[in-house]
Amino acid sequence: MEPLKAVYINELFKISKKKKIKAALIFSILSVIVAAIAVYFLNNFAGIRITGSSDFSIMVLTVLSYTLFPLFTAFICIDMFAGEFADDTIKFTLTGPAPRFKVFSGKILAIAGFIIVNLIFVMILSLIISIFINGNMTNVLKILLAYIMEFFPQLIFALTVVFISNITRGTTSAFMLSILIFLLFNGLGFIFPSYKSLFFTSAFDWYTLILGGYINFSKILRVFLILLGYGIMLYTASYYLFEKKEV
Amino acid sequence: MQAQGLGLCASKQFFKEDMLDKAIVIENLSKTYKNSRGIQDINLEIQRGEIFGFLGPNGSGKSTTMKVMVGLMKADKGDVRINGYSISKDYEQAMKRVGCIIENVAPFPYLTAYENMKLCGRFHENVDEGRIDECLDITGLLKYKNEKIKNYSLGMKQRIGIAMAILSNPEVLILDEPLNGLDVKAMVEMRKLFLNLSNQHKKTFFISSHLIHDIELTCSKVGILYDGKLLGVDSTQNILKNYSSLENYYLSEVDLNGAS
Repeated sequence: MEPLKAVYINELFKISKKKKIKAALIFSILSVIVAAIAVYFLNNFAGIRITGSSDFSIMVLTVLSYTLFPLFTAFICIDMFAGEFADDTIKFTLTGPAPRFKVFSGKILAIAGFIIVNLIFVMILSLIISIFINGNMTNVLKILLAYIMEFFPQLIFALTVVFISNITRGTTSAFMLSILIFLLFNGLGFIFPSYKSLFFTSAFDWYTLILGGYINFSKILRVFLILLGYGIMLYTASYYLFEKKEV
Repeated sequence: MQAQGLGLCASKQFFKEDMLDKAIVIENLSKTYKNSRGIQDINLEIQRGEIFGFLGPNGSGKSTTMKVMVGLMKADKGDVRINGYSISKDYEQAMKRVGCIIENVAPFPYLTAYENMKLCGRFHENVDEGRIDECLDITGLLKYKNEKIKNYSLGMKQRIGIAMAILSNPEVLILDEPLNGLDVKAMVEMRKLFLNLSNQHKKTFFISSHLIHDIELTCSKVGILYDGKLLGVDSTQNILKNYSSLENYYLSEVDLNGAS
């Protein structure tokens, strides 16, 4: 367990020291503030009711789950795999006393940690701002559940990027291919709506399943199992490639 | 029966002691690249406390051998045992007491020297702030410890590589061209450091270099690798008894075996 813990802490430390993280933080704050100002003006001056206080956090989640969250997750994953292989810094970790499985698992745990921190940060920020918009805060439990649910599709996207990072040689190609897969899966979901649920990108808004009056547990379970299947396949395939990779 | 049992015990004991004396054992190691270059059937045993010099021209397979030794590459055939543990079967135990530099030193450029050392130290229980400072001091980097690596010169990067390699006080040090980019003074200091660690603390070194003079001054045993094949292994003392310099031995070995 010790080498795994060491890799995990090291990766989190490295993430925290990257400029991209500071940019992610600033962009997240800005996007939430801009959304809040837009909602406030439309609600109070344009006579258009965009959203109530309880929905603001969900609205922010809807926007960010398709934009900034996957973008920043992709940056981190690519840096951690394709980036470190490209600039040879991966040797630093691979020549330590941690076997590759622990190195790989430690990195994935750190990515999961990054996604969680990002979600918590945006949730707290949007909840605080929703108090300023409407003076109160309702449905906190549902909002919390929605943000927890969003973690899973974001993690699957991260694993997809990790898989791509392990088959490509450079960071640019890994990034371009990740964006392409993201757009392709979203596009295919629109073109073939009957198969939409098979693409993990359609699960980016699966938290809407708990927002209505009636909660369809069987559908939630089905989506969860599809995500789990994606997770197992991507984790295994990515680890296989990582293990085989020569430096 | 009793005598047979005692004999078995004695041979087991001998095997154990023999294994304990050998810090590194390389058996039939082969690795071929797509361009059909690589290393072929390398067999080598390095005793505890020895400084082994791995000599060979560029492209002879030194780095490939060392990459396989530390698990950065998988061998096509053969195995490496470090401190008695197989690198392919028991990587964690094999690398537990190993420090290394392979090819270029590549610390994280956006972190400071201290932060890089800290990352390295997390893999080992016995590394604290005092030990990090001690290693940075030994390599002459203490006053630059809070500077980011991206501002370091090539020589300073090489020094941080050596500091990281010795950080956990490892029993075995595998160093690929450790003196690359160092100025003369630093080279002399590092050479002294290696000799001191070997003589006083019984550390085992596996050093590759194409600088024959360095190998002659530092290593107690020398192996010559040419075109992926290990041509000869002998103690520096023996070599210098029979040849005027290590350079002459190297050239004669290459002429005798390499050309055939």
